[in-house]
Amino acid sequence: MTAATGNATQVYQLYIRAGQQEVWEAITDPAMVARFFHGAQVESTYQPGSPLRSWSPDRSQQWGDNTVLECDPPRKLVHTWRGLYDPDQAAEPESRVTWEIEEQPGGFSKLTLIHDRLDHSPRTAAHVTGWSYILSNLKTVIETGEPLSPIV
Amino acid sequence: MVVSVLAADDDLVFKALADPTRRLLLDRLFARDGLTLTELEAEVPELTRFGVMKHLAVLEQAGLIVTRKQGRHKHHYLNPVPIRLIWERWIGKYRDRPVTALLDLKDHLEGRS
Repeated sequence: MTAATGNATQVYQLYIRAGQQEVWEAITDPAMVARFFHGAQVESTYQPGSPLRSWSPDRSQQWGDNTVLECDPPRKLVHTWRGLYDPDQAAEPESRVTWEIEEQPGGFSKLTLIHDRLDHSPRTAAHVTGWSYILSNLKTVIETGEPLSPIV
Repeated sequence: MVVSVLAADDDLVFKALADPTRRLLLDRLFARDGLTLTELEAEVPELTRFGVMKHLAVLEQAGLIVTRKQGRHKHHYLNPVPIRLIWERWIGKYRDRPVTALLDLKDHLEGRS
Protein backbone atom coordinates (compact mmCIF):
# COMPACT_ATOMS: atom_id res chain seq x y z
CA MET A 1 0.00 0.00 0.00
CA THR A 2 2.94 2.33 0.44
CA ALA A 3 3.13 2.34 -3.36
CA ALA A 4 0.92 5.44 -3.16
CA THR A 5 4.08 7.40 -2.56
CA GLY A 6 4.94 6.82 -6.20
CA ASN A 7 1.82 8.35 -7.71
CA ALA A 8 2.97 10.65 -10.49
CA THR A 9 -0.15 12.83 -10.50
CA GLN A 10 -1.82 13.93 -7.30
CA VAL A 11 -5.05 15.89 -7.03
CA TYR A 12 -6.24 17.89 -4.02
CA GLN A 13 -9.58 19.67 -3.98
CA LEU A 14 -11.63 21.62 -1.49
CA TYR A 15 -14.38 24.22 -1.18
CA ILE A 16 -13.64 27.53 0.47
CA ARG A 17 -16.29 29.96 1.65
CA ALA A 18 -14.89 32.93 -0.29
CA GLY A 19 -15.03 34.44 -3.77
CA GLN A 20 -12.66 33.46 -6.55
CA GLN A 21 -10.74 36.76 -6.28
CA GLU A 22 -10.28 36.37 -2.54
CA VAL A 23 -8.82 32.88 -2.95
CA TRP A 24 -6.57 34.09 -5.76
CA GLU A 25 -5.23 36.90 -3.58
CA ALA A 26 -4.60 34.47 -0.74
CA ILE A 27 -2.40 32.21 -2.88
CA THR A 28 -0.47 35.08 -4.50
CA ASP A 29 -0.09 37.51 -1.58
CA PRO A 30 3.20 36.78 0.27
CA ALA A 31 1.73 37.86 3.62
CA MET A 32 -1.12 35.35 3.20
CA VAL A 33 1.12 32.57 1.88
CA ALA A 34 3.29 32.90 4.99
CA ARG A 35 0.21 32.30 7.13
CA PHE A 36 -0.83 29.01 5.55
CA PHE A 37 2.46 27.64 4.19
CA HIS A 38 4.76 27.00 7.18
CA GLY A 39 5.66 30.72 7.38
CA ALA A 40 7.31 30.67 3.94
CA GLN A 41 8.69 33.98 2.66
CA VAL A 42 7.71 34.13 -1.03
CA GLU A 43 8.85 36.49 -3.79
CA SER A 44 7.44 36.60 -7.33
CA THR A 45 5.96 39.04 -9.83
CA TYR A 46 3.71 36.17 -11.01
CA GLN A 47 4.53 36.87 -14.66
CA PRO A 48 4.91 33.78 -16.86
CA GLY A 49 8.59 32.88 -17.04
CA SER A 50 9.48 34.82 -13.91
CA PRO A 51 10.97 33.21 -10.80
CA LEU A 52 8.90 32.13 -7.81
CA ARG A 53 11.30 31.93 -4.89
CA SER A 54 10.69 31.02 -1.29
CA TRP A 55 12.66 30.96 1.95
CA SER A 56 12.25 29.72 5.50
CA PRO A 57 10.56 32.21 7.89
CA ASP A 58 13.94 33.64 9.03
CA ARG A 59 15.30 33.52 5.44
CA SER A 60 18.22 31.37 6.57
CA GLN A 61 17.31 28.60 4.11
CA GLN A 62 15.98 28.72 0.57
CA TRP A 63 12.95 26.42 0.18
CA GLY A 64 12.16 26.92 -3.48
CA ASP A 65 13.58 28.41 -6.68
CA ASN A 66 10.74 27.80 -9.11
CA THR A 67 9.39 29.33 -12.32
CA VAL A 68 5.90 30.65 -13.05
CA LEU A 69 4.68 28.73 -16.12
CA GLU A 70 1.21 30.22 -16.47
CA CYS A 71 -0.73 32.93 -14.69
CA ASP A 72 -4.38 33.67 -15.43
CA PRO A 73 -5.84 35.65 -12.51
CA PRO A 74 -8.09 34.84 -10.74
CA ARG A 75 -8.47 31.38 -12.26
CA LYS A 76 -5.21 29.56 -12.78
CA LEU A 77 -1.61 29.57 -11.62
CA VAL A 78 0.97 27.03 -12.80
CA HIS A 79 4.54 26.81 -11.54
CA THR A 80 7.42 24.39 -11.30
CA TRP A 81 8.21 22.62 -8.04
CA ARG A 82 11.44 21.42 -6.59
CA GLY A 83 11.88 21.18 -2.82
CA LEU A 84 15.21 22.70 -1.80
CA TYR A 85 14.43 22.19 1.91
CA ASP A 86 15.45 18.54 1.63
CA PRO A 87 18.62 17.39 -0.24
CA ASP A 88 16.91 14.15 -1.40
CA GLN A 89 14.07 16.09 -3.03
CA ALA A 90 16.35 18.81 -4.36
CA ALA A 91 18.28 16.13 -6.27
CA GLU A 92 15.14 15.02 -8.12
CA PRO A 93 13.83 16.52 -11.40
CA GLU A 94 11.38 19.41 -11.03
CA SER A 95 7.67 18.67 -11.02
CA ARG A 96 4.66 20.93 -11.66
CA VAL A 97 1.95 22.48 -9.50
CA THR A 98 -1.33 23.80 -10.96
CA TRP A 99 -3.80 25.82 -8.89
CA GLU A 100 -7.32 26.14 -10.35
CA ILE A 101 -9.99 28.31 -8.74
CA GLU A 102 -13.62 28.04 -9.86
CA GLU A 103 -16.40 30.28 -8.60
CA GLN A 104 -19.32 28.34 -7.13
CA PRO A 105 -22.85 29.42 -6.20
CA GLY A 106 -23.57 30.45 -2.65
CA GLY A 107 -20.35 32.39 -2.10
CA PHE A 108 -18.00 29.41 -2.43
CA SER A 109 -14.93 28.73 -4.52
CA LYS A 110 -13.65 25.33 -5.56
CA LEU A 111 -9.88 25.10 -5.35
CA THR A 112 -8.14 22.24 -7.14
CA LEU A 113 -4.40 21.68 -6.79
CA ILE A 114 -2.77 19.26 -9.20
CA HIS A 115 0.80 18.21 -8.50
CA ASP A 116 2.05 16.24 -11.50
CA ARG A 117 5.15 15.34 -13.52
CA LEU A 118 6.29 13.38 -10.46
CA ASP A 119 7.18 10.28 -12.52
CA HIS A 120 10.89 10.53 -11.77
CA SER A 121 10.62 12.22 -8.38
CA PRO A 122 9.42 9.50 -5.97
CA ARG A 123 10.72 11.20 -2.81
CA THR A 124 8.97 14.43 -3.72
CA ALA A 125 5.82 12.45 -4.58
CA ALA A 126 5.89 10.92 -1.09
CA HIS A 127 6.33 14.28 0.62
CA VAL A 128 3.88 16.47 -1.23
CA THR A 129 0.96 14.65 0.39
CA GLY A 130 1.41 17.50 2.88
CA TRP A 131 -0.76 19.58 0.52
CA SER A 132 -3.78 18.30 2.51
CA TYR A 133 -2.55 20.15 5.57
CA ILE A 134 -1.52 23.25 3.59
CA LEU A 135 -4.88 23.52 1.82
CA SER A 136 -6.99 22.95 4.90
CA ASN A 137 -4.85 25.59 6.59
CA LEU A 138 -5.51 27.95 3.67
CA LYS A 139 -9.26 27.32 4.05
CA THR A 140 -9.10 28.07 7.77
CA VAL A 141 -7.06 31.26 7.27
CA ILE A 142 -9.48 32.58 4.62
CA GLU A 143 -12.67 31.59 6.45
CA THR A 144 -11.71 32.46 10.03
CA GLY A 145 -8.64 34.70 9.76
CA GLU A 146 -6.69 32.33 12.00
CA PRO A 147 -4.27 29.57 10.96
CA LEU A 148 -4.45 26.03 12.33
CA SER A 149 -2.07 24.90 15.04
CA PRO A 150 1.34 23.99 13.60
CA ILE A 151 1.77 20.32 12.79
CA VAL A 152 3.85 18.35 15.24
CA MET B 1 -24.56 23.19 -8.57
CA VAL B 2 -25.78 23.16 -5.01
CA VAL B 3 -24.85 19.49 -4.67
CA SER B 4 -21.17 20.16 -5.32
CA VAL B 5 -21.05 22.82 -2.63
CA LEU B 6 -22.63 20.39 -0.23
CA ALA B 7 -19.77 18.04 -1.07
CA ALA B 8 -17.88 19.90 1.61
CA ASP B 9 -20.29 18.50 4.19
CA ASP B 10 -18.96 16.09 6.76
CA ASP B 11 -22.14 13.99 6.50
CA LEU B 12 -21.38 12.94 2.94
CA VAL B 13 -17.81 12.02 3.84
CA PHE B 14 -18.85 9.92 6.84
CA LYS B 15 -21.56 8.17 4.81
CA ALA B 16 -19.17 7.49 1.95
CA LEU B 17 -16.57 6.06 4.33
CA ALA B 18 -19.16 3.92 6.14
CA ASP B 19 -19.19 1.35 3.32
CA PRO B 20 -16.43 -1.30 3.12
CA THR B 21 -16.53 -1.48 -0.68
CA ARG B 22 -16.01 2.26 -0.97
CA ARG B 23 -13.13 2.11 1.50
CA LEU B 24 -11.67 -0.66 -0.65
CA LEU B 25 -11.93 1.53 -3.76
CA LEU B 26 -10.18 4.36 -1.92
CA ASP B 27 -7.40 1.98 -0.87
CA ARG B 28 -6.99 0.86 -4.48
CA LEU B 29 -6.61 4.48 -5.58
CA PHE B 30 -4.26 5.12 -2.66
CA ALA B 31 -2.01 2.39 -4.01
CA ARG B 32 -2.38 3.39 -7.64
CA ASP B 33 -3.99 6.75 -8.35
CA GLY B 34 -5.63 8.03 -11.51
CA LEU B 35 -7.33 4.78 -12.58
CA THR B 36 -10.06 4.68 -15.22
CA LEU B 37 -13.41 2.98 -14.61
CA THR B 38 -12.25 -0.10 -16.53
CA GLU B 39 -9.06 -0.33 -14.47
CA LEU B 40 -10.99 0.06 -11.22
CA GLU B 41 -13.39 -2.68 -12.30
CA ALA B 42 -10.41 -4.99 -12.75
CA GLU B 43 -9.19 -4.09 -9.25
CA VAL B 44 -12.48 -5.23 -7.66
CA PRO B 45 -13.63 -8.20 -9.79
CA GLU B 46 -16.31 -9.08 -7.24
CA LEU B 47 -18.27 -5.97 -8.26
CA THR B 48 -20.24 -5.35 -11.45
CA ARG B 49 -19.46 -2.32 -13.59
CA PHE B 50 -22.71 -0.77 -12.40
CA GLY B 51 -21.72 -1.44 -8.77
CA VAL B 52 -18.36 0.24 -9.22
CA MET B 53 -19.99 3.25 -10.91
CA LYS B 54 -22.56 3.59 -8.13
CA HIS B 55 -19.90 3.58 -5.43
CA LEU B 56 -17.66 5.98 -7.37
CA ALA B 57 -20.57 8.41 -7.67
CA VAL B 58 -21.01 8.43 -3.87
CA LEU B 59 -17.28 8.95 -3.34
CA GLU B 60 -17.19 11.75 -5.91
CA GLN B 61 -20.18 13.50 -4.38
CA ALA B 62 -18.43 13.40 -1.00
CA GLY B 63 -15.35 14.94 -2.61
CA LEU B 64 -13.22 11.89 -1.79
CA ILE B 65 -12.41 11.32 -5.43
CA VAL B 66 -11.93 13.88 -8.18
CA THR B 67 -12.23 12.93 -11.84
CA ARG B 68 -10.16 14.49 -14.63
CA LYS B 69 -10.57 13.88 -18.33
CA GLN B 70 -7.47 13.18 -20.39
CA GLY B 71 -8.25 12.53 -24.00
CA ARG B 72 -10.98 9.91 -24.19
CA HIS B 73 -10.35 8.62 -20.68
CA LYS B 74 -11.73 9.74 -17.35
CA HIS B 75 -9.25 9.24 -14.51
CA HIS B 76 -10.19 8.91 -10.84
CA TYR B 77 -7.96 10.53 -8.24
CA LEU B 78 -8.13 10.06 -4.50
CA ASN B 79 -8.66 13.46 -2.86
CA PRO B 80 -7.35 13.26 0.72
CA VAL B 81 -8.42 16.80 1.72
CA PRO B 82 -11.92 15.93 3.07
CA ILE B 83 -10.33 13.29 5.32
CA ARG B 84 -7.83 15.89 6.55
CA LEU B 85 -10.73 18.25 7.35
CA ILE B 86 -12.50 15.46 9.25
CA TRP B 87 -9.24 14.78 11.09
CA GLU B 88 -8.94 18.40 12.14
CA ARG B 89 -12.59 18.70 13.12
CA TRP B 90 -13.17 15.30 14.77
CA ILE B 91 -9.87 13.64 15.62
CA GLY B 92 -7.03 16.11 16.12
CA LYS B 93 -8.82 18.19 18.70
CA TYR B 94 -9.63 15.18 20.87
CA ARG B 95 -6.26 13.51 20.49
CA ASP B 96 -4.43 15.25 23.31
CA ARG B 97 -7.35 15.27 25.70
CA PRO B 98 -7.49 13.13 28.87
CA VAL B 99 -8.57 10.22 26.65
CA THR B 100 -4.87 9.74 25.89
CA ALA B 101 -4.21 9.23 29.58
CA LEU B 102 -7.01 6.65 29.72
CA LEU B 103 -5.54 4.78 26.76
CA ASP B 104 -2.14 4.81 28.47
CA LEU B 105 -3.80 3.38 31.58
CA LYS B 106 -5.52 0.71 29.48
CA ASP B 107 -2.24 -0.26 27.84
CA HIS B 108 -0.51 -0.29 31.19
CA LEU B 109 -3.10 -2.46 32.88
CA GLU B 110 -3.51 -4.84 29.95
CA GLY B 111 0.23 -5.12 29.54
CA ARG B 112 0.56 -6.10 33.19
CA SER B 113 -2.14 -8.73 33.21
